[in-house]
Amino acid sequence: MAKGTAEKIRKKAMGLTAALVFVGFGAAAASLFHWQVVRGEELSAKALEQSLRSTALPAMRGSIYDATGTKVLAQSASVWTVVLEPAYLAENEALRRTVAVGLSRILGLDEEELYQETGDRSSYYTVIKRKIETDVRDEINRFKEENGIGNGIRLIDDYKRYYPYGTVASNVLGFTGSDNQGLEGLEVYYESELSGSAGRLVAAKNGFGTDMPFEYEQVVEPEDGYNLVLTIDETVQSIMEKYLAEGIEKFKVKNGAVAVMMDVNTGGIIGLAVQPTYDPNDYLTILDKNLLAKIEALPEGEERDEAEGLAQSTQWRNKAVSDTYYPGSVYKMCVGSMGLEEGAITEESQFTCSGGFRVEGMDDPIHCWKTSGHGSETFREGLCNSCNPWFMHIGELLTVPTFCKYRESFGFTSKTGIDLPGESGSLYHDEADMSFADLMVESFGQNFSITPIQMITACASVANGGYLVRPHVVDRIVDNSGNIVKTADTSYRRQVISESTSRTVTDILKQNAASGTARGGYVAGYRICGKTGTSEKVAKHNEDLAKDPSAQMTYIASYCGFAPAEDPKYALLVFFDEPDGDENGGFTGGNAVAGPIFSAMMQEILPYLGVEVEYSDDEYNEMYTVSPKVVGLSITDAQAALQEQGLKYNIVGDESDWDNVVVEQIPESGSTVPKDGMVVLYTSGYDMDDALVEVPDFSGSGLVNASYLAAECGLQISVNGSRDEGTVVMMQATPAGDKVKKGTVITLTFAEELNTETYVHIN
Amino acid sequence: MPAAGRTARGLSRVPERPRDSSRDSSREQRQRTRRRTPRRRKMKFALFSLGSGMDMPLFVFVMVLLAIGLVMLFSASYADSYYREGNSYHYISRQAGFAAFGVAVMLAASAVDYHHYHKLALLVTGVTVIMLLMVLIFGRVLGIQSIAPSEGVAYRWLNLGVQFQPSEIAKFALILLFAHMISIYADKMDTFRYGVLPFVGVLGMFAALVFLENHMSGTLIILALGAIMMFVGGTKPRWFVIGGIALALLLGAYLLLGGKDESGEGGVYQMDRVAGWLDPFGEKSTGPDSNDTWQIKQSLYAIGSGGLFGVGLGQSRQKYMYLPKPQNDFIFAIVCEELGMVGALVIMILFALLVWRGVYVSLHARDRFGTMLGLGLIFQVGLQAVLNICVVTNTIPNTGISLPFFSAGGTSLVMLLGQMGILLNISRSATVERT
Repeated sequence: MAKGTAEKIRKKAMGLTAALVFVGFGAAAASLFHWQVVRGEELSAKALEQSLRSTALPAMRGSIYDATGTKVLAQSASVWTVVLEPAYLAENEALRRTVAVGLSRILGLDEEELYQETGDRSSYYTVIKRKIETDVRDEINRFKEENGIGNGIRLIDDYKRYYPYGTVASNVLGFTGSDNQGLEGLEVYYESELSGSAGRLVAAKNGFGTDMPFEYEQVVEPEDGYNLVLTIDETVQSIMEKYLAEGIEKFKVKNGAVAVMMDVNTGGIIGLAVQPTYDPNDYLTILDKNLLAKIEALPEGEERDEAEGLAQSTQWRNKAVSDTYYPGSVYKMCVGSMGLEEGAITEESQFTCSGGFRVEGMDDPIHCWKTSGHGSETFREGLCNSCNPWFMHIGELLTVPTFCKYRESFGFTSKTGIDLPGESGSLYHDEADMSFADLMVESFGQNFSITPIQMITACASVANGGYLVRPHVVDRIVDNSGNIVKTADTSYRRQVISESTSRTVTDILKQNAASGTARGGYVAGYRICGKTGTSEKVAKHNEDLAKDPSAQMTYIASYCGFAPAEDPKYALLVFFDEPDGDENGGFTGGNAVAGPIFSAMMQEILPYLGVEVEYSDDEYNEMYTVSPKVVGLSITDAQAALQEQGLKYNIVGDESDWDNVVVEQIPESGSTVPKDGMVVLYTSGYDMDDALVEVPDFSGSGLVNASYLAAECGLQISVNGSRDEGTVVMMQATPAGDKVKKGTVITLTFAEELNTETYVHIN
Repeated sequence: MPAAGRTARGLSRVPERPRDSSRDSSREQRQRTRRRTPRRRKMKFALFSLGSGMDMPLFVFVMVLLAIGLVMLFSASYADSYYREGNSYHYISRQAGFAAFGVAVMLAASAVDYHHYHKLALLVTGVTVIMLLMVLIFGRVLGIQSIAPSEGVAYRWLNLGVQFQPSEIAKFALILLFAHMISIYADKMDTFRYGVLPFVGVLGMFAALVFLENHMSGTLIILALGAIMMFVGGTKPRWFVIGGIALALLLGAYLLLGGKDESGEGGVYQMDRVAGWLDPFGEKSTGPDSNDTWQIKQSLYAIGSGGLFGVGLGQSRQKYMYLPKPQNDFIFAIVCEELGMVGALVIMILFALLVWRGVYVSLHARDRFGTMLGLGLIFQVGLQAVLNICVVTNTIPNTGISLPFFSAGGTSLVMLLGQMGILLNISRSATVERT
């Protein structure tokens, strides 16, 4: 029995041992195989994922330079993001309080909130403040040092975008958001080139979220973005913006304005000014004070937010590429070119304008702006008169298919492809459903919508010998070492019209600017070619009429031209959307509103761009001379020097002794003085009160009146624009009320109101 | 109970084992050795020697496992120890101390004739029961932390100058008492009166006391060990069927009804463990503070990261506060991560060899008491190792059993080494060829 018992024990024990070892360890080994071999990679990847924390290392965004390559329009500067790492703080009550108190003082944050965040271990990184500047960073570092805080407060590199020139070219540049991503303008169009590629810092962290004791750090260095060099010149841009704002103010323009200047041979945009505008450093603030006041007057709430949002998106908008308008009479330079190119007309072709053009199927004839008619006139005269029937006549000769062919060829039916975001397409009648009436109206630029950029591109082709260029804003993209990554395509798309047609139209437009309906844009010495346009906002008018039957027609006043005539280099389009005639004294036409601004811009920009002054004989007679240097001479000598130049003189101060030395002269030496003008000589001890005079308000005065007004105050005038009878001062370079010294030359721009549009309403 | 002791010794004098013919040659020598043993031991003590030395393979397996265990404990614990205790050596220094003390206890125990435990069986049982009761009274009822410290709802510790876990001693007490009883009842083990009733009574008492400590794994081990010893000792198999059914019913009732609040929400934590076992990467595993499922998930991440050959000793990432308490029950996950599947298999093979040698020695013990005592002791080690490794690899639900010689814990290590010492003493008089 006992023997059997022992044997039983042995069998049972061996059985149990075998079961334990083979079943137990066997099952465990099978599990191990499953987890380590079959699913090993998957699990190890997950384990790695949970232990690696990756921090983005921001790349420095590229800068944007103007055409000179020296002026920085947009650049990034280092700032820092303050981050809390609760894993290092949560355990230590006193430390948490210290951190909360210190950071709330430095960063102006709520102490209690900070205190809570230091204890929130559910977060590895808590961003508490972004984009702090160097001084704040230094203060935080000092605070860390003073309190012996190593880990727990971290400063992460970041960049902030600065626009050193403020509002200059803001509608072109755009701006970036809080993550340095482009949101508008070039910043968004060239996002991938500017942004570079962010680097990454991958570090191993333990389960607490703090650093591992051993080194595991992998750094992928960020790659800085490329820089953009624009075709836009900051000086030109600033001049354009200055006069555009002045025009808005002067002519009470309700709906913004655009001025675009293009290098007609390359398509490079040299300046692009837009109103309303904004400061990209502070893009949320509404710059238009009137609009801002209106919005702030609204009660808090949805309506106000909506109005504010609308105002913001309006001021961010680049009206030159995103808005369309009827080009109006400016378009006639293209239609005239079509007629000449097709041989349908010649420069000397005759047509008789009876004041209207009867179109079959329409009750009323389409009127010329001069309802009495221009009578018999050549094409040259017709263009200079901006005679609508002449161009309807050309349209009739061309017929719809040819007209549409050229319209397409000039680029009016497709986007220009300019390197700016949000370019709008144009609206036009398709060839298939274009009626004769449509053709007639389109012939003088009404009833189809194009963008300003399309118009100036077409104008450039009229000017440059017929070549359609590719408009662009960025001349080249360069890396940080200055290597060129990409250059703008300055080749032309196609030839639209022949060189000879181009030259003919150019010559007519030169006459037009000198003595035609576009006299308002004339600049002496610079061979300006120009064409005015006064577009009717018919669609808006009809809409307004439905609401208010007495609604007035509203206009877009534009002026498009180029210079110099013999070898056109620069084209400029200026347009004002809805100058308020009721408020500004009745000026709504292109010549009166856009012309003087065009003239003022050209007057200042062309010399800067190095266009040579060359006066015609007529111009020479009205010329200015250069003031000689007389400071330092005795009154006697100064007088002699001035007389030699045919200049008069006037003395302010002590003139008892003619040996007295001239200490100052106005105009200063080297500046222009009207031919028979005067130089005021100041001798030592002159009385400032005697010397200073207040600039009178010249606006609305004719040339004679203006001269008289100036002489009365001891000032001199310089005439810009047209000197013809009937023209009045549209702009004065020195604002009325300013105190200037006697003898100062005030530049006055003269123009006249010629509303060269007809009233035609087509349903 | 001197009579019992005598009875046991009397029983041991009838060791007629059936031997096959090939082993007959050694029989003579065996009988000679057995007769001579007491005298020789008195004359000369030798660690390993033919005759009265202890079993060399058994000793080597224990020491190798202990050495690997200490190295792995240091590797697994130093990060957690550094971050939580501010000292990388917090666990390893204590564990090394316990190991040194434990080896001393083992060597001492190996020199004490295990027959003395016959007399001590009831005493040890009594003291253990008193200590278990003290834990419950001071800890669970009175809540005196200085005498019976608790961790949450777990009341496992007793502090009488030194702090230890009476439940670890209870395992030994049970093995000792059962070995004693089986050797006394001997041929009567197939009866209900001797072979079932007293055993179930003792087992029930121990299990209930440890269960009330909220020490689920201890209860499980005690029940399993008790059942194994009864089964080997000769209790009729049908009683295990009945017992198993009864236990399953009890367990089912506990899992379904226990711990729920009035609305039927909540439930016992063991249910969460089952859920975590079924879906280790489920939504319950999302936060480190949430529950045991996080531990299982991190354990599997560690095991998976190890692959076939491991990330290298000391190179574990998971021990950096991802795997909670890597020095305790889940130390084997770090072993798998650092040493890979190959290393893990080597350790499992070492455990298997230890168990095999322990069982072999026990079966060749001089008497029934030695056999049963040895089997109980070695099965405890084997059972814990298997259950622990199966938990860590998510083969079975989490039970909270530590890995012998590896997991941090002083009481457990000293008890284990002491128990191995007893086994070594059994080997001294066993009929095993010495190396």
